[in-house]
Parts: sequence; C-alpha cells; structure tokens
Amino acid sequence: MSAQLNPHARPRGAARVGIGGPVGSGKTALLEQLIPRFMARGTDIAVITNDLVTAEDAERVRRSGLIAPERVLAVETGACPHTAIREDPTLNLAAADELDRAYPGLELILIESGGDNLASSFSLDLVDYWLFVIDVAGGDDIPRKRGLGVLQCDLLVINKVDLAPHVRVNLDRMVSEAHEVRLGRPTLLTNCAHGDGVDAVVERIAQEVLFDR
Amino acid sequence: MLRLTDIVGHATDADIAERLHQMEHDGVVERIHLSRRDLSRRRQRVTTDRGTEVALMLDRSSGLDNGAVLLLEPARAVLVVLDEPQWLVLGATSAAGALEAGYFAGNMHWKVRFDGERLWVLLEGPRDDYLKRLSHLLARGHAQVIDAPPAPAAGVRYLAVPHAH
Ligand SMILES: Nc1nc2c(ncn2[C@@H]2O[C@H](COP(=O)(O)OP(=O)(O)OP(=O)(O)O)[C@@H](O)[C@H]2O)c(=O)[nH]1
Ligand SMILES: [Mg+2]
Repeated sequence: MSAQLNPHARPRGAARVGIGGPVGSGKTALLEQLIPRFMARGTDIAVITNDLVTAEDAERVRRSGLIAPERVLAVETGACPHTAIREDPTLNLAAADELDRAYPGLELILIESGGDNLASSFSLDLVDYWLFVIDVAGGDDIPRKRGLGVLQCDLLVINKVDLAPHVRVNLDRMVSEAHEVRLGRPTLLTNCAHGDGVDAVVERIAQEVLFDR
Repeated sequence: MLRLTDIVGHATDADIAERLHQMEHDGVVERIHLSRRDLSRRRQRVTTDRGTEVALMLDRSSGLDNGAVLLLEPARAVLVVLDEPQWLVLGATSAAGALEAGYFAGNMHWKVRFDGERLWVLLEGPRDDYLKRLSHLLARGHAQVIDAPPAPAAGVRYLAVPHAH
C-alpha cells in the first residue's frame, strides 16, 4: 500500500482551534469545560491564552488543576487583541510551534483570543478551525448585527443560555437569526457555568479537525 | 475516509497533466472544490465531487493552491480546484466618492483589488449584504455598481487592508 493511502496516516503536529469572542462572553469558561472532556476522550491537548497585558487567563487555567500547568502558554497582546490572531499572529504561531516541539504526540491546541468585539476573527494561517463565543446577556440582536466574527466563524457558540429568562432574551429568535446570517453554518448553545451543551462542541471539533477515529 | 497528507504535484506539471488527461477518460479523477478562504486551511474535512470523504492534513509549511494534486495513483487522482470568487465591482462618480468608498471598504475589512478607476470587492457572503452595506454611498450617487465589468488585468494583487485600531 502506498504511503498516500495509509488509513492510519497521522497529521504532523496538533490541530489548532481558535476560541474568539467579545469580552466576558465565556471563552475561558468554555476552555475549562472543553479541557476535561477532550482529556476523557484521550486527546493529547494544550492551551494558549491571549491577554492584554497580563497572563490572567493562563494563570486561571493553570490553577484550575484541569491540565498540567506547563501545557498552558500565555501570549500578551498589548492593546490590540485581534492583531495577535489575525493581522500578525507571529507570537501565537511561535507558541503553538513550541507546544508541538515540546509534546510530540500533541493532538489539539486550543487558542483563546483576548476579549475583543464582534468584528474579531482568526487568521487561517494560525488556526484550522475557530469558534466565536457570544453571550445571551449581550442581547438577542447580536447575530442580526452581522459582526464579522459571528458571520465568519466555523462554529458559533451562544453561551450563558441559563441567563435568557433573566435578561428577557428570545433564544429561539436568536438562534434562527444566527442561522440566517451564517447561511446555515453551525451554531450551538451552551451553559459553560454547568457544562450543558459542551459535549456537542467537543463532538464538532473532533469531527472537523481531529480525524482520530 | 481518505486521509491525505501531502501535495504530490500540480495539475499543470507536464507529466501530471498528461496522466490526469488519461485518467479523466476512465472517470477516476476526483476534484475538491474549495473557496479561496478554505484554500488557506491546512487541516479540514472535505468531500470530493464524487462523494469521497477526505481528511486533509497538510504540514504547516505547505499551502494549497488551485490545481494542487493530493493523490495520484493508477486507480484514483484527487486534486483541488479553486471555486472562482465572486466580485462586486464599484465605480465612483467623483474623487470624493472614490475616497469615501475606499475608506469604507477598508473599514469593513473587505478584501479588495484596485483596477484603475474601479474597486473590486471580493464577495465572501451574499451580494445583497454588500449592497445593503453600501446603500448610503449608492443612494447619494457617490459610488455605483458596474454590472458587467470586463475581466480584470492579470496580475492584480490582493491587498490586505491595514487598520489602526
Ligand atoms: N450564568 C453563566 N455565567 C457564565 C457562563 N459562562 C461564563 N460565565 C461567567 O461569565 C464571566 C466571564 O466568563 P469568562 O470565561 O471569564 O469570559 P471570557 O470570555 O474568557 O472573558 P475575557 O477573557 O475577559 O474576554 C465569569 O464570571 C463566568 O463565571 C454561563 O454559561 N452562564
Ligand atoms: Mg478569558
């Protein structure tokens, strides 16, 4: 059999998946829900976080005890978080390469962007696939506003669904409008405080970029 | 699922072109149609025009282009075809209109190319969405849509739009 058709061919280096979204929408909370699930399914995983001028999110993930602290790298982005994931992802690329070198069997690197606005998006030089996390409490008109992140991401995650009744948000309408502006590309609902809906996110990422089954 | 990891050649390489031509007659050439956006992904799940599921996993250092051949076996070839992009072509009625249209396109992070007095905007979503966004310029007559533009000159470059914030 030719090497080309080897059914066990493995990718060289880990898949890289971006998690973007506005400030406080629940990106780190989603990370904290994803990490144990990927570990439970046997995925060799590492994390990169992006913060403005601190390593706040990296420290939080390291302290969580969910993952070996040395598998969490922090990138400081300065004042312009989307530059580090789109126009000039050099620092994030270097961090991801470093993880690939340090952990030869690494299968997945999750990259959390610094909290930004609805227009932020990931360069496909940096990631293979990216999620955009928005927050129910931001209002059910968010999808309708057609921010670049909402339109272009591979998977839209609408988080904090538990808050919908408290902020008078019509979740059904939010989902159907997201579906409409995204031309049918996928949207999933989560409550990252408790983990509801996160299994489906894991499933989707595995299906699109892990190819390990 | 077919797992493909390498670019083995290009459809325009003379010997490969010849082989593909032969294989075409036997109906064993499969094509993966990709948008310009998806062309820049190293790892993705795709389906060929003959329905074969493909797990594409290229080295970080390699990149797909139109015509990249991913598999060349006696019984099957797989190659990548760029789904040609759609453009919205704008003309301005005055220098002021041109400045405003250029500024606006940059602000929207649209991918554009400059073609003399025309601005070509790459459509990454429905054309109507772009027209809606431009409605203030179109309504005031500062810019106009040029419906059947001639093909652009070869070698027009894509421009990454810099921005300050
Ligand atoms: N009720 C509720 N609260 C949530 C949920 N997800 C996250 N939170 C809370 O929302 C706040 C912000 O969550 P983070 O995970 O820090 O958000 P982030 O997007 O990482 O924030 P930045 O990195 O600062 O942009 C925290 O107080 C979380 O506990 C959820 O699904 N439901
Ligand atoms: Mg965070």
